[in-house]
Amino acid sequence: MKVIVGVSDMKVSAKPGDELVTYSLGSCIGVVIYDPVVKVGGMLHYMLPESSLDEEKAKRNPYMFADTGIPALFKASYALGAQKQRMKVLIAGGAQILDQQGFFNIGKRNHMAVKKMFFRNNVIATYEDVGGNVNRTVRLDILSGDMHIKVGGEGERKL
Amino acid sequence: MSAIAELIREIDSLKPMPQIAQQVMALAQDSRTDTEKIANLIRFDPYITGDLLKMCNSAYFARSRSIDSVHDAINILGMDRLVDLVVMKCGAVNFAGEQRGYGLDEGALWKKAVSCAIIARDLAIRVGFSDRHLVFTAALLKDIGKVILSRFVGERFERIQHLVAEEGYSFREAEKKILGVDQSELAAIVAKKWGLSARLQTLIRNSHMPEGPVFSDAAANVVYVADQVCIMLGIGVGVDGLAYRFHREVLGALGLTARDLQQVIAGFGDKIREVEDLIGSF
Repeated sequence: MKVIVGVSDMKVSAKPGDELVTYSLGSCIGVVIYDPVVKVGGMLHYMLPESSLDEEKAKRNPYMFADTGIPALFKASYALGAQKQRMKVLIAGGAQILDQQGFFNIGKRNHMAVKKMFFRNNVIATYEDVGGNVNRTVRLDILSGDMHIKVGGEGERKL
Repeated sequence: MSAIAELIREIDSLKPMPQIAQQVMALAQDSRTDTEKIANLIRFDPYITGDLLKMCNSAYFARSRSIDSVHDAINILGMDRLVDLVVMKCGAVNFAGEQRGYGLDEGALWKKAVSCAIIARDLAIRVGFSDRHLVFTAALLKDIGKVILSRFVGERFERIQHLVAEEGYSFREAEKKILGVDQSELAAIVAKKWGLSARLQTLIRNSHMPEGPVFSDAAANVVYVADQVCIMLGIGVGVDGLAYRFHREVLGALGLTARDLQQVIAGFGDKIREVEDLIGSF
């Protein structure tokens, strides 16, 4: 079954027939994780780097922010038997509008947020496809663990 | 026939904006208008009423009781919201279908139109700009040019993409260079043909600030920022990607900091599911 991960959303699955997909990542970041041993995968689509912006919103929807969404993604996959050491990890998105610089560059700040969290928690991204002025769509097949990415007007490719 | 002449001919294939939308907008912008007058206009239009009630009962408005009449809708949601919904309903018909030249599946451009209108409305409230219907309508209709331009962009995509990828053009600038007209200019031509006000035409034409930022026009600034937020969120974004120009000065002119921009994004993110439900209620 196709499971769509919306904006500010997260899904995990251990069902062999499932395919997780998130469409049109602009400045947002998609984090995709997969443990091939237990065939458990998860996907997060967050909008903004830090929950300190609005803690009430973060409580209502932790998937809106990197610092609340990423731990929730990993915890939910652990609950299904996944282990961090075995995971394949993809980071995609973090694009920017032309001339969007400094503090206004939300795509870059979103990317820095996940990099920082991964560094602190000893997680290494297997694949990264970030930045530029393009939008991206990613999908994960739970049975095979195959990850695909489609960037802008190009065809989809397998990672 | 030149590309521009062909494009202008294609505008005729669009369905005209129903008269009621303009009547309702004109009445709503006049502070002396009695709300009953607007209610009557809506009530006696069967094209509008049924769908309007469906929209009013979508999760977007999160009401505990159902809204069964125009009278209910005015009492519960307020006239302001109702006017926005009428404009939305009237605008929807031309955004149907896919815009393959832009790589947009069916519904994607309409989702952007509605999202942008809602963000513009919320932003107007945030910065204290009073003419919310104006920015709502401009934000809703400003991408109508893409409906016409889609086929032409598709046919010349490689040339457009070359300018964007290799020569630093924005997507809109590349359209202008290759096709002789860009999406915003074309949208303004459509707005004129539909008989929308000169003010709306200007806002639509300037929705990407082609001449650079215009600090003095708060409505233009609101529409522009709303569009930028949609693009950042990847809403209604296709092969054009995020290749549009960001003018941070526009945020400054509205008194918005980088943190405020994030709050606007979070504010929309908070109700994105409800917005999707509202779109699905059409």
